[in-house]
Amino acid sequence: MPKHIARLVLLIVAFGAAGLAAKAFFTTDSFYRFGHYRADSVPEIAALTPMFQTPKACRSCHAPRVVEWSASSHKSVTCEACHGAAPGHPQSLQATIPTDTVRLCTQCHEKMPGRPLSSIRQVDSSEHHATATQCIACHNPHAPKIEAMAQKPAFDRKAVAASAAVCAGCHGENGVATNEAWPNLAGQNAAYIARSLGSFKIGARKDATMAPMAESVADDDVPKLAAYFGSLSCHAPAGKRAGNAAAGGKLAKQCSVCHGDNGRPVNTSWPSLVGQNPAYLVGALTAFKDGQRTDPFMSPVARALSDSDIADLASHFAGLGCGATSN
Amino acid sequence: MKRDDKPAVPARRIFLRDISRGAACAGAAAGAAGLLAAASADSGKPGTGSAESFPTPDYDWNKHRWAYAVDATKCIGCLRCVEACKRENNVALDAHHFRTWVERYVYIDGEEKPHVDSMSDPLNIEASGSEKLYRFANRYKEAKVDKAFFVPKLCNHCTHPACVQVCPTGATYKTRDGVVLIDHKYCIGCQYCVQACPYGARFFNHAKGVTDKCTWCYHRITKGLLPACVEVCPVEARMFGDLNDRDSVVSRFIRDNRVQVLKPETGNAPNVYYIGLDQEVT
Repeated sequence: MPKHIARLVLLIVAFGAAGLAAKAFFTTDSFYRFGHYRADSVPEIAALTPMFQTPKACRSCHAPRVVEWSASSHKSVTCEACHGAAPGHPQSLQATIPTDTVRLCTQCHEKMPGRPLSSIRQVDSSEHHATATQCIACHNPHAPKIEAMAQKPAFDRKAVAASAAVCAGCHGENGVATNEAWPNLAGQNAAYIARSLGSFKIGARKDATMAPMAESVADDDVPKLAAYFGSLSCHAPAGKRAGNAAAGGKLAKQCSVCHGDNGRPVNTSWPSLVGQNPAYLVGALTAFKDGQRTDPFMSPVARALSDSDIADLASHFAGLGCGATSN
Repeated sequence: MKRDDKPAVPARRIFLRDISRGAACAGAAAGAAGLLAAASADSGKPGTGSAESFPTPDYDWNKHRWAYAVDATKCIGCLRCVEACKRENNVALDAHHFRTWVERYVYIDGEEKPHVDSMSDPLNIEASGSEKLYRFANRYKEAKVDKAFFVPKLCNHCTHPACVQVCPTGATYKTRDGVVLIDHKYCIGCQYCVQACPYGARFFNHAKGVTDKCTWCYHRITKGLLPACVEVCPVEARMFGDLNDRDSVVSRFIRDNRVQVLKPETGNAPNVYYIGLDQEVT
């Protein structure tokens, strides 16, 4: 072979080898491990932090809401579908409490072509209670069906009355409390009594007297007890009223969104306020104001009230007769 | 010029000889090193005796074969999935970048072709009031609608992905558990894959300068969670599961229904199975 050809071949081989060497040097170790890609990128992607938790994560603190929700028609709508993802909650981030419920609810429930007519309730927001500013005025978002709230479990009145005797020690035989600082249960919304009792049972609401009492109530007895007290007449002797009922009446307009114009809410998951002890109402509002009791809707409302506002409101609601609207 | 000025062996030849000798030595050394490296990489492969699980200690990608299912008859177009996807994967909050999206098909009486719109439609943006929030405008309220339905769409994580084939840098690839991923460190943003995807599932991430797409929330599924869109879907129109598990929700869905995939004629063999589509949906 002529010398210059041999040199040329040698040169081509040398450049090829240099190219391969450069490739070997610059290619990341993991590149060909599984194929023509960097294997290390797979664990890198897998290591990203999930944003959305699952209802399991909410259950540990928000058990009463989770219990209520998981039995409702909204059970397929997970917590974060409405409240949004809250990684780092509760330490660093506040979960969202939706403020514009009309906007939120119509995202699924606005009647439009392509949506089912029957399986998922569809409304025309321009017709369905068009004057209401919030859907939660009537619907409990965690258990939205009005008919479901009105359902009352069948119970043996005598048997339940016997087990209710334990409650009577404080809440009175007829559901009218023996002490004004304690709540009357007579005529209260059964769904609300059940929810409150459930909250005490699992420790979501705290009270030195109620917590152990609630713990001793069997799960099955909760709705029965609730229905029993709910069925009693709400006529109660008017308690001592300290505040100005007329001033309270004006303030009460903001309460009517949820608690109804006459203190009796459309949504039976919210408490009825008629025939309630004024001293208890003052205590409850003060507890929300101080943060001893917390509720996504009540806490911000109560924080905006002064002590005299609270007294006025309590005397207004305690003065509302329950006769006309009582069941 | 006199001939005597030239040296016996020209300088050019000496130069070429010297560098070719040097390169040959370097090449031989590097070649040997490369062979050694390849040999050591082989021994690190899972399945060759070591019980190493990849990509994480708790998750072995050889044990799963993921697939996705969509029941378009259930979808109500609430777009919780779209918002959840953006939040979960830090996708730009505007009407132009989506890893998953929902299309609406409306057939109006007397018209041959359906009206198709999605979140990017100006009327829908107007209805939501912001490019960062998504909802379908109730625009067919007055029209006589024959038929209407919603179709959720996302990356099909094809068995033979065209996007992977065209990638010049090996930045996109198919994992062993059936997910098509993008290595953002190796992506050069050439967007060949955006052109290659028959489903329009890929988009350019302008903030990072790389291509982006649905990963079936790989960081979630490898931790035993569901993709964010499946997690928040209120009507269970979106389903996700393992084809290796006969009782997974997707295996059952495929078995119990006559399913279809989008654009089967492209030969990509998609892994998102649909029911409730019309022929206009591609």
